[in-house]
Amino acid sequence: MSEKITYTAAFEELQLIVNEIETGEISVDQLSQKVRRAAFLIGVCKEKLTTTEADVNQILKELGDD
Amino acid sequence: MSETIHDKTVFTLLEVAHSIQRTLNERYRSSFWVKAEMNKLNHYSHSGHCYPELLEKKEEKVVAQVRATLWKDDYLRINENFLKTLKEPLKNGINILFQARILFDPVHGLSLRILDIDPSWSLGELEREKQKSMERLKEEQLFFLNKSLPLPLLPQRIAIISVETSKGFADFQKVIDQNPWKYKFFYLLFPSLLQGDKVAEAIVHQLQRIEKVKHHFDVVAIIRGGGGDIGLSGYNRYDLAKSIACFPLPVITGIGHVTNETVAEMVAFKNCITPTELADFLIQQFHNFSIPVNESRKTLIHSVNQQLADTKKEAGRTISLFLKHTTNLISTTRRELLSHARRVKTHSGFYIRNARNQVKLVSRSLRKNTTLLLGASATATSGLKPILKKETAVFFQQLGHEIDIRAKQVSMLDPKNVLARGFSITLFQDKAIRSPHVVRPGDPIKTITFDGIIESTVTTIQPGP
Repeated sequence: MSEKITYTAAFEELQLIVNEIETGEISVDQLSQKVRRAAFLIGVCKEKLTTTEADVNQILKELGDD
Repeated sequence: MSETIHDKTVFTLLEVAHSIQRTLNERYRSSFWVKAEMNKLNHYSHSGHCYPELLEKKEEKVVAQVRATLWKDDYLRINENFLKTLKEPLKNGINILFQARILFDPVHGLSLRILDIDPSWSLGELEREKQKSMERLKEEQLFFLNKSLPLPLLPQRIAIISVETSKGFADFQKVIDQNPWKYKFFYLLFPSLLQGDKVAEAIVHQLQRIEKVKHHFDVVAIIRGGGGDIGLSGYNRYDLAKSIACFPLPVITGIGHVTNETVAEMVAFKNCITPTELADFLIQQFHNFSIPVNESRKTLIHSVNQQLADTKKEAGRTISLFLKHTTNLISTTRRELLSHARRVKTHSGFYIRNARNQVKLVSRSLRKNTTLLLGASATATSGLKPILKKETAVFFQQLGHEIDIRAKQVSMLDPKNVLARGFSITLFQDKAIRSPHVVRPGDPIKTITFDGIIESTVTTIQPGP
């Protein structure tokens, strides 16, 4: 996943697409593209649930500054 | 009475109990006022009586413990007073000033019968401090400050204020680390005292440390557990409650006790009764994120399939409609054609019959008319015969007459007749001379008269007038 996206943004965009599709605002022609995007966003969200980018050493370093 | 066994004076247990009872009754004739901590009220709802557990502590150590008895009627009266004064019922874990008599029962032993409790005294230092802290935080509009912070969608990075070896922290870790959904949390311990006199200072200090690195965290969790309900008064202190209320990240508490909520817990973003509940709360936030994502996936699949099915159905409908219409059109057209064909057949038969009849009529009338005509002709012809005979005779008569005239004229023109009348014809080389220029002097000429030929030679030629 090359695109950098926060989970909040991913989540919101996903909700938007789902809502659009659910209310039938998307034509069959656009469907494939939107579904692909939604699948990507679901992947982003799921990955966020199971990984963190926290760095203990960095925190300890910043704490040690006092 | 006592008896002697092996040189010893021996009493029965009941004798001893009765003796104690007598002695106490004689010694404690009147009631008296006592102050103590009522650790447990032990109210029995069935009988309505209470059997409170009374304690006295020094430096967190129990130095005295006596059971008490509070009969139903006394309890109801005292409880009403408490509700009036404290705005809370009589309950566990409060200090009370009470009027009592000593009771001794051979079976149930020693207890203090509580006659009355002074509710205003129970408000005590602790409660007064708590109330004051709350009021001040509310006045300064800090009370709901932490609660008004937004909780991150995924509270994933947790700064924990706890004790490494505490049961509460272990409970929390167990739930967080072993969650079956494999949700990933990051937490870092900021060790602190969690009870006693120094608790406020210790927690405030750790909050200050966390604030320095707050950008690495989503929430702060204060976790304590297994320490009982003693020594929690520090959590009611204004300075600690203020630090929590004003903290820039949501602070979640899981102090793990059964007494009244402390001020620190009240101002926290969220108060969980136990560390386990706190961990569950965090996991729930992940669920709250994860479930809609999964739901989105399901909804998406369902909606897309639905839309495709709808489109297909609509196309199918259009096709069948098209088929229906074309079939209708074809059959209508066929019907019309057949009807036309039938009409053509019917009408043509009629016309043919008509025409045939006419032909028949015509031929019949033709035959009749011909006969008539022939009859008429014959009649006409027979009538004409005498006329013809007569007219022919006239015609030939006239013709004979005319011929006679013509014969006279023709005989008059005959050259013989002309020659007879004195005219002659002059010939040169057997051709009639019509002009003097065709002959020259010396040429032999012949002159034919009515009854002979004169031969002569030309001497002169004179042109005519």
